Amino acid sequence: MNVIETKKLTKYYGKSRGIIEVDINVEEGEIYGFIGPNGAGKSTTIRVLLSLIYATSGSATIFGKDVVKFGPEIKKEIGYLPGEVFYYDTMRVKDLLNYSASFYKKDCSKRIKELAGIMNLELDKRIDDLSYGNKKKVGIVLGLLHEPKLIILDEPTGGLDPLMQQTFFNLIRDENKKGATIFLSSHILSEVQRLCDKVAIIKEGRIVKIEKMSDLAQSNYSKIKVESKAAIPEGYFDMAGVSGLKTDNHSTTFMFKGDINSVTKKIAALDLVSLFVEEPDLEDIFLHYYQ
Amino acid sequence: MLNMYLHELKQYRRITMIWIVSLVTVAALYMALYPSMASQMEAMKKILANYPKALLAALGIGPNLFLSFAGFYSIIMAYVMLATSIQAMNLGTGIVAKEEHGHTAEFLLSKPVNRTQVLTAKLLAALTILLITNVFFIAAMWAEISVLAKTTIEGKIFILMTLTLLFVQLFFLGLGFLVSVTAPKIRSVLSISLSTVFVFYIIGIFDSIIGSKAVRYLTPFKFFDNQYIINNGSYELSFLVLEVVFLIAAILAAYYYYLKRDIHTT
Repeated sequence: MNVIETKKLTKYYGKSRGIIEVDINVEEGEIYGFIGPNGAGKSTTIRVLLSLIYATSGSATIFGKDVVKFGPEIKKEIGYLPGEVFYYDTMRVKDLLNYSASFYKKDCSKRIKELAGIMNLELDKRIDDLSYGNKKKVGIVLGLLHEPKLIILDEPTGGLDPLMQQTFFNLIRDENKKGATIFLSSHILSEVQRLCDKVAIIKEGRIVKIEKMSDLAQSNYSKIKVESKAAIPEGYFDMAGVSGLKTDNHSTTFMFKGDINSVTKKIAALDLVSLFVEEPDLEDIFLHYYQ
Repeated sequence: MLNMYLHELKQYRRITMIWIVSLVTVAALYMALYPSMASQMEAMKKILANYPKALLAALGIGPNLFLSFAGFYSIIMAYVMLATSIQAMNLGTGIVAKEEHGHTAEFLLSKPVNRTQVLTAKLLAALTILLITNVFFIAAMWAEISVLAKTTIEGKIFILMTLTLLFVQLFFLGLGFLVSVTAPKIRSVLSISLSTVFVFYIIGIFDSIIGSKAVRYLTPFKFFDNQYIINNGSYELSFLVLEVVFLIAAILAAYYYYLKRDIHTT
């Protein structure tokens, strides 16, 4: 069954573009990544799914039900973590959590305690005394406390330190193992790579590509930057798998795809000052994947 | 829905207490002046006779007002009304707008509730807050009247006059609701409510100076004429109808817009 299904989903804000004809299918039990640069339409899509804003045209269903018509019913089973977390400043954390729990017709107190323990959250503090990262943790607990069947995460790791990110990812994986479907938007490729089974790439409001993570990983690019003592002779890196070569005096950058050993041998022959082998960022991906 | 209603009451508990205390304090101090003023009534009248008529009218001081405590009380109400109107307008505008202003709309509307329930909970909470304010105010005023010397007023007149505060508040609550739902982005609730209330207040002052009856239909500050209440022991039906019609229209329109509009984040 498709947990989320959109058909030609389009949203314009007046004349400015939100999203254009977005088609995505998220199957039950999947961890689905939604990746794209800032302003590509990730949050717009999510906000339409939550019927915070209404689509200009096209349709969207969750659990097979129209998101506008059956909004309140659907939302019983959705946990949502917004990209920017803002809550009632004067409330205490535990009061906010209890207020949130009061919307669901079940006892969430045990789960709240559990989650607060995992996320290392201080329940007696006031919201406005929390750092951004701690507010984000509150958001995570709010999103999970009613054990939803669908978890929607909008840029979830911003503001979390690496250790907490790890804890958070484990938490999401556990929820997934228990049967929850996860829909996660991000502009950080590695985040999506670590977690997701499938990924949809959105650019300027349109879906550019939907791919299984395993396929995406196979065609992995590396971004290599070499700085040498002597100038690198022209054409030194002319070989299979190298693209986007740029040389600036003693430093050279290029993208590489293929057998990494062939290129490391070449590099080993140089007298190096420094060497970076990095994962390409999204911009590089767009440049090299989808030209 | 009950949880949202109680949440709003809790959120407004402090500010409502502050409103009640300030309103009661100001009105009580003002009223405490009456016994000494009453004993110097003749002198007061002579002084007032020298004032330009238009000024007295603008201040809400009619020819017979100082003759009775009821007249004096109606002047206090006219000033208190300005403050209570600001309270109501602020409440009506803020109770919905604060969710978008404070970016908490996403929190609230991602819960399993529909927007009708959200708006209804907020409306009921706002009404409750205004009712509580008025109950405390009426009780405090009545207590002071019973204690002070020379302050004799018919119970019915007292209630009718004091309740004009609530009726005018309801007008501004409805207006505030409508504004908060239709205005695209509200940066400062206070500046909107202050300016709106003052515009209506100034229109009311013009009415007193011009003495035209038509102006009375334009501002809730003139819907309820205290002299009429003192003379007839009732409100004027046409204005009461106007108020109710406006309230219903404003609230229905607010629901209509809130249900179909996009919720913005920033």
